[in-house]
Amino acid sequence: MAGNWQPDFERLVDEHQSMVFSLALRMTSDRGLAEEIAQDVFLELDRHLGRLESPEHALNWLRRVAMSRSADALRRRKVRGVDLWVEIEEMHGAQQTDEKPSPLGARLERLLATLPDAQRAALVLRYQEDLTPDEIASALESPVATVKSNLHRGLKLLRAKATNQLKEFIRGV
Amino acid sequence: MEFESKDEMELNGEFEKELRQALERRPAPPRLKRRVLEEAARRRALGRRTQVLWWQRIAAAVVLAAMAGGGVLWRQADERRKGELARQQVMTALRITGRALHEVNARLTARERGE
Repeated sequence: MAGNWQPDFERLVDEHQSMVFSLALRMTSDRGLAEEIAQDVFLELDRHLGRLESPEHALNWLRRVAMSRSADALRRRKVRGVDLWVEIEEMHGAQQTDEKPSPLGARLERLLATLPDAQRAALVLRYQEDLTPDEIASALESPVATVKSNLHRGLKLLRAKATNQLKEFIRGV
Repeated sequence: MEFESKDEMELNGEFEKELRQALERRPAPPRLKRRVLEEAARRRALGRRTQVLWWQRIAAAVVLAAMAGGGVLWRQADERRKGELARQQVMTALRITGRALHEVNARLTARERGE
């Protein structure tokens, strides 16, 4: 059945643009850069269309390439020595008006951006894409034990940061 | 993941729920799909043009190679033809010389008999 699947590029873009853009946005915290990454990922998809065997294969391929391209972009930014928050505030600080994330959501996203890249990647795939540690390990091409450790440490660190900064939103604090 | 207490676990569950909500997929910018499709179409057209260009180069190279090969073959054939012509001329000259010698020989023989 998988062999008979005929990928439709426009349909794949339509179905997965939100996922790819969101992954890149959460990894880079930069809308402009996320849009560039998403565009690159889909153009790469266009070149690899013949090698994709099923819709699931396409989805996993897109996740893996989106994460990999985002990591590359972060590395390039670090090499350039640009301060993440200065760039975000100056260039892309204003959220678009069509998106209205809750104040808590917006703050959690800001806090997420302060986590180490590997922990952020694991958390984004876990809580945005609802993947299991095995699936995350496959998407990030990392050992499962590393992914589990990153998930655990990332969640703990994020919660600690949130507890400090978002007391009004955390029940029982 | 292991937690210290039931309260801690509940708190973490609540936090994970909040995080899941915070990390819902965001809609992609409306222009993204258009940009992707336009760029993909542009690259495909460029790829086709490049492919055509390569075929044209290959065709030109084949034509040039055929012309060069044809030239060499034509030259070889021309040399063979000229060689054959020269050989025929030499053979004709030899035949004429042989006939003359034969005639001289016949006259000499007739004279010797007459004496």
